[in-house]
Amino acid sequence: MIHVTATESDAVRAIEAEAISSRFARGWHCLGLAEKYKDGKPHTVQAFGQKLVVFTGADGKTNVLDGYCRHMGGDLSQGTVKGNEIACPFHDWRWGGDGRCKQIPYSRRVPLRARTAAWPTMEQDQLLFVWNDPEGNKPPADVTIPLIAGATRDDWTDWRWTETVVHTNAREVIDNVVDMAHFFYIHQSFPTYFKNVFENQTATQIMKGVTREDSRRQREGSGGGGGPRMLGNTSVATYHGPSFMIDELTYHYDGYDLSSVLINCHYPIDETSFSLHSGIIVQHSDKLPPEVAEATAEKLSTFILAGFEQDIEIWRNKTRIDNPLLCEEDGPVYQLRRWYQQFYVDVAEVQPEMTDRFEFEIDTTRPVESWKKEVEENLARLDAAEAPA
Amino acid sequence: MTSRQDERLLDGPLLPVACRRCAAEVLVRKSSWEQTSIQWNAGARAACVGIEHPHDTCPALRSAIQEAALTGSIKVIE
Repeated sequence: MIHVTATESDAVRAIEAEAISSRFARGWHCLGLAEKYKDGKPHTVQAFGQKLVVFTGADGKTNVLDGYCRHMGGDLSQGTVKGNEIACPFHDWRWGGDGRCKQIPYSRRVPLRARTAAWPTMEQDQLLFVWNDPEGNKPPADVTIPLIAGATRDDWTDWRWTETVVHTNAREVIDNVVDMAHFFYIHQSFPTYFKNVFENQTATQIMKGVTREDSRRQREGSGGGGGPRMLGNTSVATYHGPSFMIDELTYHYDGYDLSSVLINCHYPIDETSFSLHSGIIVQHSDKLPPEVAEATAEKLSTFILAGFEQDIEIWRNKTRIDNPLLCEEDGPVYQLRRWYQQFYVDVAEVQPEMTDRFEFEIDTTRPVESWKKEVEENLARLDAAEAPA
Repeated sequence: MTSRQDERLLDGPLLPVACRRCAAEVLVRKSSWEQTSIQWNAGARAACVGIEHPHDTCPALRSAIQEAALTGSIKVIE
């Protein structure tokens, strides 16, 4: 009897996935436009596996506290803002932004231990950020989100902001940093250059692409949509920490460039869902006077949201995979996840390998060859469908 | 989460390349002439003076890697 041992190449590849940790990333998380929280009312935010209350006091400072009153468990986010404090709807206990109970109107004094969890907040570029740290430490001075010049300048549009709840673990959105090929297959882009650099708390994706003629035809028909032709784009996108990506995105048109900044950020609701946000601002120029820039920002925002929907459709149906099987034209998924892991361990446990600089440049020769062919085939099909019978 | 290894490294490991402009020694892998992976450590990063913009690859190191690939001291997998 002959025994045949399966060689490695014959063995079935198993998909592996460990249970998802219920720990949430250390770092600044954006809760969206700051203005939203300045209406004098408390806001309920489900984040980091719990209910939070976000409110702005009379002093203009926006605060984030645990949603539940330490007295009898009332829901503070159903309460009322009184002065600089949030008043519980149950017994009117007043909580300050520092997490301390300031006053109990029907009692002579506040009991000891009347302190609840408060999250450090930061307002910058018209956005509200909250600091999450499972170890309870304050944000270190050198862990920051860089300022976005265009966000406060008159020659840029205002933010167009969107929010979407996604029912999967946040690692899926992070993986996109290194996933060149999905931009072709999911987002109708055509990457021609792709590089990643990870270092300290940043993970960067540099991508150049050309406009796909087949997608343009499907959007605009064979007559073309009129207006300037977009030739391609250059994108330099960096995650600053675990959840906030700033993308300096330049669209190249015939004869001029359009400068925009795209924010792609999220905060975890719990371990299997997150709130995904997009924001975009566009710079005015000779070719793009203010009102045209505003209209362009609106159009781009819709386009980005459509891109999110394409990702969400994949995430809705895919499985979690800890051991992706990669070809040489894929990006550095494992090294990205190694970088991402630094936000899920105590500061003392952060290993050099998680923060050491790593660079990865993809050889796009073969992908470009293959995608050109696919685009040509799609165009030929469109021609055939349009040809008179 | 257990830290896992990129299995592509089994077909071709990261190998040391020393820069000639500074004392930096990094680990490099090339799966083709156009593809490059560069793993830095703190010592090499501190030594390097050629990274003008954080997203750029040091030009001197790039040359050293090209030479290493040409002379065969790192293998281009292809």
